[in-house]
Amino acid sequence: MSAPILVDARGLEPPAPFEMALEAVADLGAGGSILLLLDRMPHPLFRILERDGYAYTPQIRADGAVEVLIERR
Amino acid sequence: MSGANPGLGYDATPPFSAPLRFFLTAPLFGIAAGLLLIVDGGLLASRWTPGTLALVHLLAVGFLLQIMLGALIQILPVVAGITLTAPLRTARLTHIGLNLGAIGLTAGFQFGRPSLLLGGATFLGLGVTGFLCSAALAAIRAPKTRMASHTPRDLRLALGGLTVALLLGLSLVLELGLGRGAPLPLAVAVNLHATWALLDWAGLLLAATSWVVVPMFQITPAYPARLTRYWAPTVTVLLAAWSVALVANVTTLAATMSVCLIGAATGFAVITLRQQARSRRSTPDASFRAFRLAMLALAAGAALLAFPHPSDADHWPVLAGILILHGGFGGATSAMLYKIVPFLAWLHLTQAGIKAPNVKKLLPDVRARTQLRVHAAALATLLAAGLAPPLGPVAGIMLIVEFVFLQLNLVHVVRKWRAHLPRAGLSVTPA
Repeated sequence: MSAPILVDARGLEPPAPFEMALEAVADLGAGGSILLLLDRMPHPLFRILERDGYAYTPQIRADGAVEVLIERR
Repeated sequence: MSGANPGLGYDATPPFSAPLRFFLTAPLFGIAAGLLLIVDGGLLASRWTPGTLALVHLLAVGFLLQIMLGALIQILPVVAGITLTAPLRTARLTHIGLNLGAIGLTAGFQFGRPSLLLGGATFLGLGVTGFLCSAALAAIRAPKTRMASHTPRDLRLALGGLTVALLLGLSLVLELGLGRGAPLPLAVAVNLHATWALLDWAGLLLAATSWVVVPMFQITPAYPARLTRYWAPTVTVLLAAWSVALVANVTTLAATMSVCLIGAATGFAVITLRQQARSRRSTPDASFRAFRLAMLALAAGAALLAFPHPSDADHWPVLAGILILHGGFGGATSAMLYKIVPFLAWLHLTQAGIKAPNVKKLLPDVRARTQLRVHAAALATLLAAGLAPPLGPVAGIMLIVEFVFLQLNLVHVVRKWRAHLPRAGLSVTPA
């Protein structure tokens, strides 16, 4: 399995991080995954990921940044 | 995995029309305030004229309270996990009560008609009480999850402040209309009502929202943890102590508490300015600049209240009121509207699976920038009219231009949003 595609959307004003995440998800090939880096938990994104059949694993890093691993279900 | 958003209710995000009706009605009261200044040009001569009381309530209830309650319907489920069970019905009833109340109350003040005052207060009381009960029920039912920020707690404290301000306001109307209010000197009762409304309701709400919105939209570092942890509870405790001291006529304690409260308000404004100075944003946009002006106006208004004046002239409290109400809360509210409304339009389209345009296309920055420049000019004109009341009609014209422009900008976003909806979903008020 290949390494996740890194999408660093920290330091951007909403909804730019949201848009970057959606674009990356739209380009995601079968078996691929995305590691999304953000300043905060992207609650609105989770609903869309659930609706569109993606699994996601969020976690808060020690430096306060949020990592979300997104994979096709 | 899913369920990684404990306690947060995006699945229950209220329909866009729930907050939107408040946002689109609020500027009409700003326009009415401008008209009042044209008709009753000298009303800024003192804080006690009937016209000034009408003007203050047009702005404080018709504009500010309206936008704040509308925003809360959207914010409570998202940041506090408090999901209103029937957000659209709550929005409809609160909106009707608040608007009839604001109209009755201001007409009652302006025309000296106790019946209008009592009728307006009844509608306003019912509308706000309905909202508070709905929010309280939802808060009781909300899942008890630990939140990372202090915003949910501070929103609850702000709602408590609104309750106190409402009760004090209703008592004042009973006194003015029927001579049956609380047994307090009128000036004491008015100061209590105004301070709870401005500081423990509007101030706490502004701070609670800022803890989240300023870092998010203005790309600043997070507020200092100790500030977000202690600011709102400290203000509430100080305000309670000040109120008791004022009612009990313990003047030294009341004066000390008053200085502490002014210090707390100024501290919030100054720290927000410092946060903005540390923003990673390369070019400040219109909303950023407007928020900075609002914080400067809040700090200046607080300073006017804190320092001894060179004379006992009536215009000092009027100037402080203009700086705090129009410059501070009015400016901050407009600045937040320009972030929140396009973002909500974008979010609702995206969540509906519709390709949404960029938020800058939903509301180009140049439109917001021009309107906010008019806001700054209106503030300057109002201050000039506070010093020279015959300038009131000029300030009135500026207020009308400011709020018409705001209304047009908000309608622009709504039109763009509607243009992207599928034809069957064109209704602004889905059932």
